[in-house]
Amino acid sequence: MKRADDRATKAFRSARRDWLRWASSSAIAASMSGWFAQLAVQAASQPTRARRCILLWMNGGPSQIDTFDPKPGHENGGPFKPIATQTPGIHIGEYLPQVSHWTDRLAIIRSMSGKEADHGRASYLVRTGRAPEAAIQYPTLGSLMAKELGDESAALPSFVSIAPYRSTNLAAYNPGFLGPTFAPFIVGDVTPAGAQQQAADAYRAALQVADLRPPSSIPDARQANRLGLWRSMEQAFVAGRPDIPAESHAAAYDRAVRLMHPDAASAFTLDQEPDKLRDAYGRTMFGQGCLLARRLIERGVPFVEVSLGGINSGGMGWDTHVGNFETVKRLCGVLDPAWATLLRDLSERGLLDTTLVIWMGEFGRTPKINGTGGRDHYPLAWSAVLGGGGIHGGQVVGRTSDDGTIVADRPTAVPELLATACAALGIDPHKTNPSNLGRPIHLIDYAAQPIDGVAT
Amino acid sequence: MPAAPLSARIDAMVFRRWSEAHVTPAPPAEDAEFYRRASLDLAGRIPYVAEVRAFLADRSDDKRHAAIERWLDSPAYVQHFANVWRSALLTQATAPDLRFAAERLEGWLRVELRENRPYDRMVREVITTPLGERIASVRSEDAAPTPLAFYQANELKPENLASATSRIFLGVNLECAQCHNHPFAPWRQDQFWQFAGFFAGVARLRPDNAFAPAPEVLDRHSITIAGTERIVEARYLDDAEPDWAAGERPRVLLADWLTSADNSYFARAAVNRMWAHFFGRGLVDPLDELGGNKAPSHPELLDTLAGEFVASGYDLKFLIRAIVGSQIYQRSSRFTDASQRDPSLFARAVGRGLTPEQWFDSFVVATGCDDNQRAEMLGKFSSLERPAEMQTSILQSLAMMNGRLVTDATSLTESRTLAAVIDAPFLDRKGKIEALFLASLSREPLPAEIEPLIAYFDSTDGQASSSSQDSREREALADIFWALLNSAEFKLNH
Repeated sequence: MKRADDRATKAFRSARRDWLRWASSSAIAASMSGWFAQLAVQAASQPTRARRCILLWMNGGPSQIDTFDPKPGHENGGPFKPIATQTPGIHIGEYLPQVSHWTDRLAIIRSMSGKEADHGRASYLVRTGRAPEAAIQYPTLGSLMAKELGDESAALPSFVSIAPYRSTNLAAYNPGFLGPTFAPFIVGDVTPAGAQQQAADAYRAALQVADLRPPSSIPDARQANRLGLWRSMEQAFVAGRPDIPAESHAAAYDRAVRLMHPDAASAFTLDQEPDKLRDAYGRTMFGQGCLLARRLIERGVPFVEVSLGGINSGGMGWDTHVGNFETVKRLCGVLDPAWATLLRDLSERGLLDTTLVIWMGEFGRTPKINGTGGRDHYPLAWSAVLGGGGIHGGQVVGRTSDDGTIVADRPTAVPELLATACAALGIDPHKTNPSNLGRPIHLIDYAAQPIDGVAT
Repeated sequence: MPAAPLSARIDAMVFRRWSEAHVTPAPPAEDAEFYRRASLDLAGRIPYVAEVRAFLADRSDDKRHAAIERWLDSPAYVQHFANVWRSALLTQATAPDLRFAAERLEGWLRVELRENRPYDRMVREVITTPLGERIASVRSEDAAPTPLAFYQANELKPENLASATSRIFLGVNLECAQCHNHPFAPWRQDQFWQFAGFFAGVARLRPDNAFAPAPEVLDRHSITIAGTERIVEARYLDDAEPDWAAGERPRVLLADWLTSADNSYFARAAVNRMWAHFFGRGLVDPLDELGGNKAPSHPELLDTLAGEFVASGYDLKFLIRAIVGSQIYQRSSRFTDASQRDPSLFARAVGRGLTPEQWFDSFVVATGCDDNQRAEMLGKFSSLERPAEMQTSILQSLAMMNGRLVTDATSLTESRTLAAVIDAPFLDRKGKIEALFLASLSREPLPAEIEPLIAYFDSTDGQASSSSQDSREREALADIFWALLNSAEFKLNH
């Protein structure tokens, strides 16, 4: 009995010490900065394969003709003009002028083609690589990549999702059979109530991480005491019942406590960035979300997604059934500076070669303009863009017909796009995970191969 | 029908495997361990302090059986199993626009469970429930209880309904057979579409509106295989041909075949699901592998349970009594010997995650807090995994450590449980610690746990030097309660 007491007391003391050490940021500021610099050096020294990924998710399904697959001279082309880009011969929509300077780092896939035309089903398909099936819950891309690229001992989560609007299909954002260990760490959940936020500075409140600090009524020293008590109870319980749920519980708390450390938590403090840079990204939820993505990537987070569904809110912004052109122009005004600044910022920090940046939504829009100046859902021929690390830039893959209605060259299915992303990240797309049904499941459908010549 | 003889047969069959596999099982669960686990499994929440104290003090021999009967008669049983069956019927992550329909389904299940309706009759009603205009009315909050959500969750598609029916009620997964021949089991694509033929008359939904009226073609029983021109006639999975002559509706004929006593899959799937509910894994695992290549861990037990379940008239409470009354269920979860590692031998009770409802309702029992954060917290803690593989996320941990729910529950001014314990004049320090353990973990603390906690009262680390002994004691109790509420022991069923 005496020994058990000693053990409990010892465990309590050591946990308390840990927390106090974490809590006094000055004591370890030096070592943290060393760690940070080291990461940056490591990242820059392995330029051939990207090991991190940012997904720019366009909620609602963006119009391909008005962004990356212009159709000048055809009535389906609409009023927007194509503009020349960094890459001779490649033209894109006129409202992406800043992005046009980066085409040498982008592979534009103009021949995406599929069948799912419903937001919920299509989001699931594009975000997991699988059509929905009742019996199995496939993991979303970020969860798959977090499992491959993440480090359990890191202070920051392996998968961060910024401002996701998940109303059309929650399951498209879930870790599925991989479980909460690989769940997105959600910052700025705009599902569904926050979707109404439109105030110009809505991003400030939305991008705060909830519950990252103990309540103000609990001073650090007392929090340390609490964690000490908690740890001795937890250790005794888990040691006696070594099951997945107990071990996962203890591990998640450890990660949460590490994240609460001021140095780790400061990754989410955008105020540390210069005003000029913040302005360049754009003072919008998406713009500041992209800046946050860079801060996280820089600190070793392997997968970050940023959703764009409204000017300063969540929502289905790209779902332009009515008044397509006005809306696309306004959304491009948010997208263009954010995306281009992200690429520049990553590049200046030596991170672009190791960071894959994906741009896509759940499908495209009808080439034919409808009676209300809108474009409807269109999964048959649409565009997606891969850029940065692991990608042969300056190229267009595939081609649509002159009227944009069909893919005329190299039809590309969603699993092929995701397999290409895997290849760019140095991951075998046909690795398997155990699933909730006890059957092994390939990361990406076995039949899908990476697109030729896109991944380096 | 008394359940004790079946409990004894369960024990005998599992014991036999232990002896064959040279297993040293975990010791029997002590009263407190049994009581908390059974309360969570039967009533969906941990027991109140008064219930635990009364149970521990009770000296009668049959107190466990009496407790089981009390729970089975309680409204909490009805509520909890309505949750359990709802998740079984709607395995998809429920879309927000299905919320009302899911609630109506739960309401319908409550009625059925309150009556202890025979399981075959419950399933028959799911399979044969009339469609049509009622679909639209499910949207409104005051619609009558109905199992229609099963159809909506499957998008009113014959192929989805067929695979859900087979998976849930027969334990047979047909999904892979939808697009190609099944790689694991001998089901074929044609067989799959023949089975879907029973739902051929169900009209498809518009993709943008899950509530658009769905006129049903009542007598249609042929269907075109998707992506082909081929049309097949409805046929049962055992290849038997339905008797169309009587003019019965295809869904009624399907229900006849499905729930017939000759269909061995039906009862086996049900008892396997109930077994998994209480043990964290099925006798066949995963649950939809009854038709596959996976042998049951205890074939004879599976058949015995199924046979007795049919003989009882598909009495769910009978089945539950038999399982919960067995010595196998009443094992400790403590890992005491390496031979307990193989979970398919059921040599110890494994730790299982709680459903969000079980967890929140237990939290309310432990802390006495209001349940006005229920919906928000259920959303935060929703999970799709099997209970024995349930994980915790970083966000969930942060919400528990720092969020308002636990902050209020451990606040000296907000927490009912804490206030009651602090202000109890008849309790000394030890008594107060015991009360907090009973409230959260449903057990008394071990002596080895108590001593460091009593010492904690006197520790001045982290306290303002000006604080009085009295306020230190209050804060110490709040800290202990915080640690208990954040513990895996509180968060899991074990």
